[in-house]
Amino acid sequence: MSAWAPAAARSASRRAARDPIAVAVAVGFYAIVATVISTLWRTAATAHGGQVAGYTGVQLTWYLYFAEAAVTALQQRQIEMTGDDIVSGAIAVEMLRPVSVVGLRLATEFGRCLPRLAACTAIGLTLAWITSGPPVEVAALLLALPSLLLAVACNLAAQHAFAGAAFWVRDARSAWFLYQKLVFLLGAMLIPAEALPGWLHSAALALPFLAMAYVPARLAAGHLEPQLLLLQMGWLVVLGAAAVAVFAAGERRLQVVGG
Amino acid sequence: MTAVFATMRTAFAEAWANRTAFWTQLAAMALNDIVWVVFWVLFFGKVGTVAGWDRSRVLLLLAVITTGAGIVLGLLSNARRIGQLVADGGIDAALALPVRTLPFLLVRRVDAVNFGDMLFGVTLFVVACSPTPQRAALYVIGSAAGALVLAGFLVLVGSIAFFTRRSEVGDLGFQAVLLLASYPVDIFSGITKTLLYTAIPAAFVSAVPAKLIDHVTPGRLAELLAAAAVFSCAAVVVFTMGLRRYTSSAIWTRA
Repeated sequence: MSAWAPAAARSASRRAARDPIAVAVAVGFYAIVATVISTLWRTAATAHGGQVAGYTGVQLTWYLYFAEAAVTALQQRQIEMTGDDIVSGAIAVEMLRPVSVVGLRLATEFGRCLPRLAACTAIGLTLAWITSGPPVEVAALLLALPSLLLAVACNLAAQHAFAGAAFWVRDARSAWFLYQKLVFLLGAMLIPAEALPGWLHSAALALPFLAMAYVPARLAAGHLEPQLLLLQMGWLVVLGAAAVAVFAAGERRLQVVGG
Repeated sequence: MTAVFATMRTAFAEAWANRTAFWTQLAAMALNDIVWVVFWVLFFGKVGTVAGWDRSRVLLLLAVITTGAGIVLGLLSNARRIGQLVADGGIDAALALPVRTLPFLLVRRVDAVNFGDMLFGVTLFVVACSPTPQRAALYVIGSAAGALVLAGFLVLVGSIAFFTRRSEVGDLGFQAVLLLASYPVDIFSGITKTLLYTAIPAAFVSAVPAKLIDHVTPGRLAELLAAAAVFSCAAVVVFTMGLRRYTSSAIWTRA
């Protein structure tokens, strides 16, 4: 990727920021979801000696606001939308451009997510502080900010790799349901990874979903573990390569079908 | 009434036309709901009880909400799209027909994916919620009343688009009520809890019917039925008032 990727991301980001009502709706949804789930876990911690799975009520609150921000910043139905473009043949037009189809899509979607991510993070910080108190470890919280960007990038790359299946199966409408639930559970968005039973915890460690929600959440909860950022970077390389490979193979097939 | 049933029959035929897609979507939603069961089992496995709710009571709540939401979003699929239809000028086709607009719009489209919810809710109740004849009867009444509250609320917030010409309030209301109804109401307190019994009636969609099934009292039953009546009537009144302000955009195909 050369200069076109940052330019595409900047342009998409500016366009998204020019629709403040859409951003406000996304943030309103985020505030409701994150407040509900953090209230549930905080109530559980209070009722059980102040801790669940090694997290205090305060830590759980920060954890859940950041895990939700990392996921809510994305279009919920990204897989379905990308799949529809593939199935309808709309993607054929993008193949005429002298740049990578999936590269441009990833850059554009990343830029489009940024205003939502910024707004959700700002609201999340405020609500977490009001409902539970100040952050447990400021240095870890600062690390959570770049981690959020990496989480969004990993998620987008994985969603494009997943949606690329539409080149073969011609339908991605139901796939986003299943993908979303994998992030919810194996990404430790709804339930901290440390609270998962052994076999599920092992499965989560072997899969990329923890990079999409757990890592920024764990950092925001006050665990100063910078090596988690390296884990995200590693998964970003793997998932990005997978998305490029799936689209490259799919585009060849689309040409055979006729676009 | 004949026209409404005929419209619903056509909507069913439309959804059933692509059977592979019908069954795939239905299975995907059922699988989606199973993940929520896994979440609650893991959660209560870790914490035991929270604010008087344990695993079995939350599974009952899940059975009620998936059944109620399945009825509304599956059979009356346009209930969640009223705002978008109004903002886009998409109800023109309905206005030209010799039928009442709101019932026609509600039954015009069925959504196969939400039949998975309905099927899942019934199965979950039978498998995990200790069904007896009395509990089954209360489950049917509770789910139906919850569905009425949900449909009424969705039409109500969707109809705001008649006055604002934007559908976002309806979208946010839809997401909020379903989300809040998916959690035990007693984890909330103060103003939030009051809101769940009034402005966003999530408590009447799931928690109140679930409590009714576990412990029936005449007062609780009357409270639920009254909420269903209030939200249904309010929806009809606000939609009718809004319809008088509606101006066409000459779009004929989206209803």
